[in-house]
Amino acid sequence: MNFTLKIWRQENAKAKGRFETYKVENISSDCSFLEMLDILNESLISNKIAHPVCFDNDCREGICGMCGLYINGRPHGNDDGVTTCQLHMRKFTDGETIWIEPWRAKAFPVIRDLVVDRTAYDKIIQAGGYVSVSTGGVPDANSILIAKDKADKAMDAAECIGCGACVAACKNASAMLFVSAKVSHLALLPQGKVEAANRVQKMVEKMDELGFGNCTNTYACEAECPKLIKRSNIARLNREWICARVGKEK
Amino acid sequence: MNLPKIASISRKIVVACVGLFLLVFLLVHMGINLCLLRPDDGAWYSAACNFMGTNYIIKVFEVVLFAALIAHIVITVALQIQNWKARPVRYHQPSKSKTSAMSKTMIWTGGLVFVFLALHFVNFYFVKMGWVEGKYMIQSEELITPELQKQYMELSQGLLNEEETIAFQTKMEAVNSIITKAEAENLYSEDLKWIYNLSAEDVKPLEKVVEGVEPDFYHMAYDLFANKIYSFIYLILFVALAFHLIHAMQSAFQTLGLNHNKYNKFIEGFSWVYAIVIALGFAIVPIYIMFFV
Repeated sequence: MNFTLKIWRQENAKAKGRFETYKVENISSDCSFLEMLDILNESLISNKIAHPVCFDNDCREGICGMCGLYINGRPHGNDDGVTTCQLHMRKFTDGETIWIEPWRAKAFPVIRDLVVDRTAYDKIIQAGGYVSVSTGGVPDANSILIAKDKADKAMDAAECIGCGACVAACKNASAMLFVSAKVSHLALLPQGKVEAANRVQKMVEKMDELGFGNCTNTYACEAECPKLIKRSNIARLNREWICARVGKEK
Repeated sequence: MNLPKIASISRKIVVACVGLFLLVFLLVHMGINLCLLRPDDGAWYSAACNFMGTNYIIKVFEVVLFAALIAHIVITVALQIQNWKARPVRYHQPSKSKTSAMSKTMIWTGGLVFVFLALHFVNFYFVKMGWVEGKYMIQSEELITPELQKQYMELSQGLLNEEETIAFQTKMEAVNSIITKAEAENLYSEDLKWIYNLSAEDVKPLEKVVEGVEPDFYHMAYDLFANKIYSFIYLILFVALAFHLIHAMQSAFQTLGLNHNKYNKFIEGFSWVYAIVIALGFAIVPIYIMFFV
């Protein structure tokens, strides 16, 4: 398969970026999107055309949350429930022009080319996305009773890999799906419930402070999440917030 | 525009609560508008307008309504400005994510609804408040009944005997004092009947006089809607309102944390039905007047 790539190139955070056009040929349809970019980079290096295109990646099996490209108007490209590394070239048509952009958000500044700084997510987690006491080793089964549906919902929320696709997809660059997944995952379980009220307030305050937009319930985040995190988590975050504020002691 | 440091979710909760209040208000307003369709020469409609204009509970709610509306607009505009700032560099490719058009255009449909409100205020509300002179404001001088006018002419020509002259003067005095009182206290003929213990027969010649205190919204509405350009703009703006409301109700529920697998479909369906009923309920009045009157 042959493709024309329009890739965002930007030397550093302060430089003015632009789109560059590259052609790649004889790409296998079984190639993943990142492998296709590897092939492009090899040719850029060996033919001394340009500095290779920078992009984030690590595990390449959809669990680390490092990769993330805005491909033809969709985060992680034209497939549902997959990360960019799991996206295959057979999802594109031969000869297609593919536009590749970095995540765009004030809170995710571009470092170089397609690499963005997602430290903002770490800061939100540092604000309260944890259980602050050691809960010890693995307890005996059934020593802490957790309802099946609660455990399922917590596990579904815990699937969030923090890739930032929700922010990238949202027209407001809102991080509500990410924050809601983290809040839900901990608030639903007994170990996390103790600090739930405190946690939700700290994480939301940090999220606001970091310059993310406000959720307007368009659900682009849900549509683009590679881990299919549901909007119901955002409603749970809102509920947790209301309960925390109403029940707040002076 | 930066609001004082209130968390994003708290602001959105205010927007959602106020939005739900406005949704209920629209239903009430639609009910009054539908009275225009009754072939009763405006009896129900005028009674409803009079009730809304004079009832003290409604007067309190009028203030609440304005506060709600202003809060809704100010907070959403401030949030929207933050949202635009949250993505200083836009994407080159337009988003192809699966989302509803209504949810993405709330600020624009809301803007159109605001344009409508401005139009609506100039036409009706400012007239009601007496800030703008409506051409339908009936002048008291014109309302001296034909019978009184005739008697006045006869008096000036010396055609009335003494008894008739005294009767006429007593009547004029009564009319004048009631007009003065009615104008000062914004009373309506129904009130007068009660206050002065007058019979329906007594009030009849005064009815028109006292109505002169209030603008005639019934004929005003009919004449405005008979204007095709006005009605067309009105209808377009109600399409925008329908778009706004389809997303509004379900979004408010989500913001208030009311999301449940069992009821989500119902909430979504109810939002659609409510939005369409409201928009059609308002739209049917100009459509009827344009084409069937």
